[in-house]
Amino acid sequence: METGREKKPVLEIRGYTKVYGEGKKAADKVSLTVESGDIFGFIGHNGAGKSTTIRAVVGVLDFTEGEIRIDGHSVKEEPMACKRITAYIPDNPDLYENMTGIQYLNFVADVFGIGAKEREEQIARYAGRLEITEALGDLIGSYSHGMKQKLALVSALIHSPKLLVLDEPFVGLDPKASYTLKEIMHELCEQGTAVFFSTHVLDVAEKLCNKVAIIKQGQIIAEGTMEELTEGRSLEETFLEVVDEK
Amino acid sequence: MKNNGWLLLKTLLLSTSQRNIYKYSKDKKKRGKVIAGWIGFGILYLLLIAYCVATSIGYGQMGIAGSIPVLCSLTISAMAFLLTLFKTNGYLFGFKEYDMLMSLPFEARTVAGCKFLYMYCQSLPWYLGIALSMMAGYGIYERPGLSVYLIWICLSLVLPLIPMLIAAFLGFLIARVSSGFRNKTVIQTVLVTGVTLLLFASRFLIEDMIRDDRVEETLESLANLTENIAGVYPPALWFAESVTGLRISRILLLAGCSLLLFEAVFLTVGRSYRKINSSLHAHGAAGQYRLSAQKKHSVLLAIAFKELRRMLGSTVYLVNMGLGELFCLVLGLAVLILGFDRFIALFTRNAPIETQMLFPSIPLIVYFLLGMVATTTASPSLEGKNYWIVKSLPIDSRDLYRGKMLFNLGLTLPFMVFATLCMCASARVPLGTTLLYLVQGCAALGFSSAWGCVCGIRFLRLDWENEVEVVKQGAAVALYMFPNTFVTIGLVVLSVFLGTRMDRNVLSLLFTAVTALLAFLCYRRVMTLAAKA
Repeated sequence: METGREKKPVLEIRGYTKVYGEGKKAADKVSLTVESGDIFGFIGHNGAGKSTTIRAVVGVLDFTEGEIRIDGHSVKEEPMACKRITAYIPDNPDLYENMTGIQYLNFVADVFGIGAKEREEQIARYAGRLEITEALGDLIGSYSHGMKQKLALVSALIHSPKLLVLDEPFVGLDPKASYTLKEIMHELCEQGTAVFFSTHVLDVAEKLCNKVAIIKQGQIIAEGTMEELTEGRSLEETFLEVVDEK
Repeated sequence: MKNNGWLLLKTLLLSTSQRNIYKYSKDKKKRGKVIAGWIGFGILYLLLIAYCVATSIGYGQMGIAGSIPVLCSLTISAMAFLLTLFKTNGYLFGFKEYDMLMSLPFEARTVAGCKFLYMYCQSLPWYLGIALSMMAGYGIYERPGLSVYLIWICLSLVLPLIPMLIAAFLGFLIARVSSGFRNKTVIQTVLVTGVTLLLFASRFLIEDMIRDDRVEETLESLANLTENIAGVYPPALWFAESVTGLRISRILLLAGCSLLLFEAVFLTVGRSYRKINSSLHAHGAAGQYRLSAQKKHSVLLAIAFKELRRMLGSTVYLVNMGLGELFCLVLGLAVLILGFDRFIALFTRNAPIETQMLFPSIPLIVYFLLGMVATTTASPSLEGKNYWIVKSLPIDSRDLYRGKMLFNLGLTLPFMVFATLCMCASARVPLGTTLLYLVQGCAALGFSSAWGCVCGIRFLRLDWENEVEVVKQGAAVALYMFPNTFVTIGLVVLSVFLGTRMDRNVLSLLFTAVTALLAFLCYRRVMTLAAKA
């Protein structure tokens, strides 16, 4: 996205490798950079290593080799500094079902130390846009999958993160919510936030992202701006060609 | 049960089998945890066996070895009843895979029956441990024939079924009643604890019945004793007569009744199983929230509040972890109403004991109830699939566990203060000593929270399917609960004994200092473990 701001790296992954107990490499020397104002799409087959990489970025998963930096802070050495400026929404957000939506949002806001006034504004803004305000007094256990995702999204945006990481964010969202999410992603990147997300929906990635990386069997096989990568073809054609080639 | 019932039971057992994890997991850490769990289980099992053998030997030495079959039957039945009552809600109703199972071609009664049998299979090793070790004690003193051993072993498999079925049926009735309410968890918790309190109260009634016939005389005659108990619980008589009298009719009666009861219970449960589960899964969603002023809290308070919501949202968690608090409340009120002396006489059977001798044991008695299980043992594992939230948020691991300990203290401290003040006021303990007991109680609860947290982190298990696996069967809870309970009982006795030989306030001060030191050491250990987590 062209935001007119000076771009600077927000997420830098260098030689990230994740080896599981039996020696299987889920990610092998993955390197990529997401800059402020980028909407970066991370695409690949099922089991290619997208979620493993994302989970390592947000500090949920430990990794074997390499370096991941968020706004210059090492995920391994300064996890708290990284988490304070990052927001994460997993593909299937398991939230605290025994809390009401508003209690959960207050919990997240308390963790980020957000003042009462600011949190009220942020909750009103995003919950209103995603049309879940009236459900905030209900238990999360009563929410549908889509509503849980919307709540997770509001909780992720409550502290105005520098890096927003989403794992398959469009799965389960209704068409209107998907549209709102895309709008929000555009607005965020105009404000200088970097958005890094995985998806299977190539049409969405093509329309939304300015940069894309394709991962196959734990290795990045193609990366660049949308124009560089597709060279006038559709992302779907490019993806299939690159994946079949390598 | 039809063939697909056995298939379901086999699958349920396999789905939580530690052996399966050990066999197929390539993760050395995971396999190591399984082995550690087995070792822990083995140690607890040996402790249980040693306790049962010692009890049998005690009976033998008193010359009443003939009562061992009744004792065995009653011990297993009481345990099976209580544990099942606490577990039924988590196992039979409102479990995670309900939708998946009910969408498969299983009848509702098959699913419910298999869930019950799964619960039975999981508990059976413990009941067999009690039965077989008591059989060994009986064998030493009575030298019975081979057939007695064979019948004892066979009936040990059947013995827990009737109390488990009664408890499961009560659990079903409770679930059915509570499913009609909006606050299902609270209603279920109140009903389960109500039944538990009734059971404890009935214990005194039974004791009174036996005591009316004078214990010493009754113990001399097995026939009288079994007759008295059979009036309350006939299956105990059937077991005893099957074993001691080799009466085939009694064997058939016990096995037949168990089978018939199983069929009757699950025929009834099956009819409204779908309806109850639907109601339990349904959440009342008002959808009328209006955003109002919000408040800012510290991270620790936010975590403690999260823990409170977690506890209030789960009947299994609330009943098992909140029982100590409830007993403490009952203890305080009972002491106030009955008076300290009369209350103590209930347990000491009017033995001539000077009231002041018991003063140093007051904070320990209160701790025995409140420290029985600490929420910190289960709460780390109960994060389960929500673990990603605390891992991805900027929460220092040490703050996370501080928050969990804060919640445990916030939950237990008010009850400790209430019960201690009630006991001290009723026993006319001097004010200074009362304050000392309150400080001792605080130190003990600090230790309980921190030691519980050490166990909870060391035996962290996030991949559970049913929270019963963590709350009732978790290695962390077991490792905390058993030694803590036995040591506390020992300390109660020790405090009374030492109180007769030294100044009681100095003794309490000494206990307070040691407990505070242990609490501090455990807290430091929590911080070290949290930093590594």
